[in-house]
Amino acid sequence: MPALLNVVIFLPLAGALLAVFLPRDEVRQHKTLALVVSLLTFAASLGLWAGFDASRSAPEFQFLTQAPWIASVGIAYKVGLDGVALLLVMLTTALSPIVILSSWNSVEERVKEFQIALLVLETAMIGTFAALDLVLFYVFWEAILVPMYLLIGVWGSSNRLYATVKFFIYTFVASVLMLVAILYLYFHNGGTFDYLATRQSLQVTPEVQRWLFLAFAVAFAVKVPMFPLHTWLPDAHTEAPTAGSVILAGVLLKMGTFGFFRYAIPLFPEAALFFRPAVAILALVGIVYGALMCLVQTDMKRLVAYSSVSHLGFVMLGMMALTAEGLQGSVYQMLNHGVSTGGLFLLVGLLYERRHTRLIADYGGIAKQVPWIAAAFVVVTLSSIGLPGTNGFVGEFLILSGTWVGRLPRAGLYAAVAATGVILGAVYMLWLVEKVFFGPMRHDANRGLRDLSLREAFVLAPIVVLIVAMGVAPMPFLAPARPSVDRLIGLLQQAEQRMGRGPQVGTVPPALASARSVLPPAPPAPPAGVAPSPFEQGGGRP
Amino acid sequence: MPAILESKSMAEAYLWAIVFLPLAGALVNGFFGKRLGRGNVALIAIAMLAGSFLLSLMAFSWVMRGEDVILRFGGPPWFRVAGPDGRALVAVSWGLMVDRLSGTMVLVVTGVGFLIHVYSASYMSHEDDGGYARYFTYLNLFVAAMLILVLGDSLALTFVGWEGVGLCSYLLIGFWYTDEQKAYCGRKAFVVNRIGDFGFLLGLFAVISVFGTANYGQLEVLARAARVDWVLQSGVFSGSTVRAAITFATLGLFAGAIGKSAQLPLYVWLPDAMAGPTPVSALIHAATMVTAGVYLVARTGFLFALAPASMAAVTLVGALTALVSALMAFAQNDIKKVLAYSTVSQLGFMFIGVGAGVFWAGILHLVTHAFFKACLFLGAGSVMHGMGDDTDIRNMGGLFRKMPHTAWTFAIATAAITGVVPLSGFFSKDAILHGVHGIHNPAAPWVGHLAWWIGSAAALGTAFYMTRLYVLTFLGKPRTHAAEHAHESSPVMTGPLWVLAFFSAVALGLGLPGHSAASELFQKFTRPVFAQATTQLLAVGHLPHEPGPWLGAFAVAFAIAWAGALLGFAMYGGAWRGLPDRLALRFPRLYQLTYEKFRVDELYDLTVVRPLQALARGLWAVVDFFAIETLLVNGVPRTVAALAQVFRVAQNGDVQRYAAVMLIAAAAILWTVLGAGGR
Repeated sequence: MPALLNVVIFLPLAGALLAVFLPRDEVRQHKTLALVVSLLTFAASLGLWAGFDASRSAPEFQFLTQAPWIASVGIAYKVGLDGVALLLVMLTTALSPIVILSSWNSVEERVKEFQIALLVLETAMIGTFAALDLVLFYVFWEAILVPMYLLIGVWGSSNRLYATVKFFIYTFVASVLMLVAILYLYFHNGGTFDYLATRQSLQVTPEVQRWLFLAFAVAFAVKVPMFPLHTWLPDAHTEAPTAGSVILAGVLLKMGTFGFFRYAIPLFPEAALFFRPAVAILALVGIVYGALMCLVQTDMKRLVAYSSVSHLGFVMLGMMALTAEGLQGSVYQMLNHGVSTGGLFLLVGLLYERRHTRLIADYGGIAKQVPWIAAAFVVVTLSSIGLPGTNGFVGEFLILSGTWVGRLPRAGLYAAVAATGVILGAVYMLWLVEKVFFGPMRHDANRGLRDLSLREAFVLAPIVVLIVAMGVAPMPFLAPARPSVDRLIGLLQQAEQRMGRGPQVGTVPPALASARSVLPPAPPAPPAGVAPSPFEQGGGRP
Repeated sequence: MPAILESKSMAEAYLWAIVFLPLAGALVNGFFGKRLGRGNVALIAIAMLAGSFLLSLMAFSWVMRGEDVILRFGGPPWFRVAGPDGRALVAVSWGLMVDRLSGTMVLVVTGVGFLIHVYSASYMSHEDDGGYARYFTYLNLFVAAMLILVLGDSLALTFVGWEGVGLCSYLLIGFWYTDEQKAYCGRKAFVVNRIGDFGFLLGLFAVISVFGTANYGQLEVLARAARVDWVLQSGVFSGSTVRAAITFATLGLFAGAIGKSAQLPLYVWLPDAMAGPTPVSALIHAATMVTAGVYLVARTGFLFALAPASMAAVTLVGALTALVSALMAFAQNDIKKVLAYSTVSQLGFMFIGVGAGVFWAGILHLVTHAFFKACLFLGAGSVMHGMGDDTDIRNMGGLFRKMPHTAWTFAIATAAITGVVPLSGFFSKDAILHGVHGIHNPAAPWVGHLAWWIGSAAALGTAFYMTRLYVLTFLGKPRTHAAEHAHESSPVMTGPLWVLAFFSAVALGLGLPGHSAASELFQKFTRPVFAQATTQLLAVGHLPHEPGPWLGAFAVAFAIAWAGALLGFAMYGGAWRGLPDRLALRFPRLYQLTYEKFRVDELYDLTVVRPLQALARGLWAVVDFFAIETLLVNGVPRTVAALAQVFRVAQNGDVQRYAAVMLIAAAAILWTVLGAGGR
């Protein structure tokens, strides 16, 4: 079985190599090759899904492969999956064929290079999730920049060069900090790049730990993106071709949150607890700020991009709750965002292909003309605003309730502020739907719009099916993440014991069970909006 | 089928079919409706409702059999997240529960729903095939969501239905989406509801963090054992009493109810919801969905009973809403708008009831209101059909002779809502007013009497505006050409009208006052559901142990109803006919303000919508564009570039300039080292 993971990682790359030898003019062959390879990769990843053991006694990382790579400095090729990585790999392999199929006709120039870039990108993304060696992780992480840079810079729209350079510099500068931290770990902490060994043997002072955490966190926060490091995202999304936007939103942003989950928090648990309120507050700001930004956008893609800032804020908040509910919801929301925001970009792409404009004002009242596109858009919108029965609800509900029952100081306030994002989400998404699809037909240019073609229906069908399936039966998607979540909580509980400041992570047990009849010496203030009832009555005491 | 009647476990196993049938109808019509043809579409939708209604009847027959019979269907787990210790606070399963409360609700939803489906088959016949299928898809989907709301055995599942009906409401209000205004009304309804749902969510989280479950059955047991004066030691409510925590939770849930049931201050969406097709207004925005908030408060009555402040809030909000919306109904000229404000007002009455702790009366009013208000709305739809979609009552008049079936059923329903003896509305509304008069809320002892005064004034208003509506629509002489040529609707439409009018009349049997065997049947029937809450309320002196004399209170209510009705008749059809115009001329400002619904929409626009937009715009310009983008992201490279420009001057390869710089520098160094003036 271990070999299967390597197959999943390198099959797309092999496909890309094969494509190099195909003649440039055989456009159709390139497309077909890419599609077939990505479908095969998805099929192979299903084997990973089936073979993964999510029981508590199972090893943390499965499908392990280890081989020396640069033995002189201890760099190894070591890959393996835990549940969270498995889910994200599945997300990647599922989105890739969709992306290739979606750009079947829209990309007409340099088709060969386009398909090669997509396949290389897929290998890099899967590798990032699977790597268990810090250098290998860094290599895959940076390897993503090259095809992505090209995707935006070559096949993007008018202002693509500015956007792609901005994207590259933003991420690259932040990543270099992470590289420095990795090297510091190697030279000052046991001389290994192995993830597990590093995690187990971390011996640095608390101050150093905080600096290391920051170095990792900034690299990841840019990718997430967290406020105020988010401004590359709207530009990159707006200028990228549909395929680039879908991959960017669907997978690349998850690399940031995954980085927090896999590296920044478990490697430096004390520092993570130290910075937790700050990160949580930035997550809150991201939720509300991103949603507010959506209210003033005139460009569909830009709006969806800012909505990503808001949604990823939820992911980060759930992670900082450090409860099983919050962390599970956080992982689930990563998948949800990949599916629903990926879907939104696909749909915006469909409209763009037809009308060559992304401006909301250029549409209006097209639902009668393109009923199936409108229906799909509404379904994806419902997922995006977290309507029960869609995947979005499960994620948001777990994150918000997980924050509420967590041990963040003033947890109730965090959950309440975040929940305003649920209101704002409905405000801007339904506004978008209304302005694009409802009302009278405003522009004659829209009268000839085609509805979904068969190919496009095949592109959107998996998205819609996933939205409903993950909304109605989420357990199969939640189960693989559970051992990882439990393990992370365990690591942090060890850290909180070392710190000796009482419990900071995990779920607070139901309060009623521990209620007492005597007032504690100094009752802390109840959360905002709750005044203890002024009418205290006798009776009821035991 | 008989097995369902004989074996309880069979009956429980089939509970899901009640929900699944309409859901299946929605799926079939949604995907294939356009190809099935409209006859089949309507047939499928109606048949699904009929099946669901029959199953509901069978389930209901079970809870009739004994006080302690409750049908429970455990249901597969939906999502459940446990910590490393295996304990799960957040665990939601698709479990259903039929007790005497939800059983009653289910009958109303599927029964009235069935009638409205039948009516719609004719009413919507002007739609094209696609629209027709879409309409029945949404309508079936709505019923399915409403049934989940009612039958769900936990707050979480109720929330699922809660948002589901909100979605269907959004889709159906904006059914004619090519009209910009209608699409806007749908969105407004959804967003305003979401504001309430925000409160619902927080209330739900509070319940979970205090009790560790959201399941109604478990909550009831835990609430029974809870000591409200104890102090919580952990979690969000650490340091506050159990009562304070439950007050927070119930106020949160009530905020949800305020949104869904269109109470002050979130009622603004409901009048606009009239943009939807009229049968939708009857089913969703009168009979079922908008009563969900009342149901929620009654369902969690055992929690509200522990939080007197929340009970007082419910009573007060209900009373104020009842009065204010009755006033707004005075000056409306759109037949549906009058009925919409009337619905808001009647919902206020229901909240007075459940807030006062007379839960049975609140729910009984919910049931009777479902009959007579559905009848009124369908009657209004019939009038619109006859009038060529005109909704302005100033253009009507004299329709009594043109549309006798509609006019008679409308008259019966009007009498019922007005509170004319012996129709159902009298007994349910006055059971509420009678009940609230006798309560003594420990948090706010004055709330009972205040609510009674406000409620009685609202009842007077109800009688007035309903009589005005009836007189202007059906009596007198036709005022326009359209009214003169109005025609009666088809039997498919008048049939449901008569059924609903019939029930508006006979439902009185559920609420007869007095102390005999036949009186207050509904109270006796629902006693087991509200037993725990009632016991608690009796224990704290909230509810009186001896109900006050009913005859006097009922005489007052009776007088109020007739006074309002006679005044309305006199002013619009009788001796004082010129009075309304004179009043409007005498007090133009007041009339204008009433006519413009007290400008609450404008107020919200000014205080919430615009500031939010301005904030977003400001943040975008100042933070995103200026601070981050201009100063940092592009500012840093530009600064570097500018600095480079400066340094470039020093490295331009001009040897003479290098020499000059060297000379000046050497002079400067000398100057500094030796000191100025060579000291």
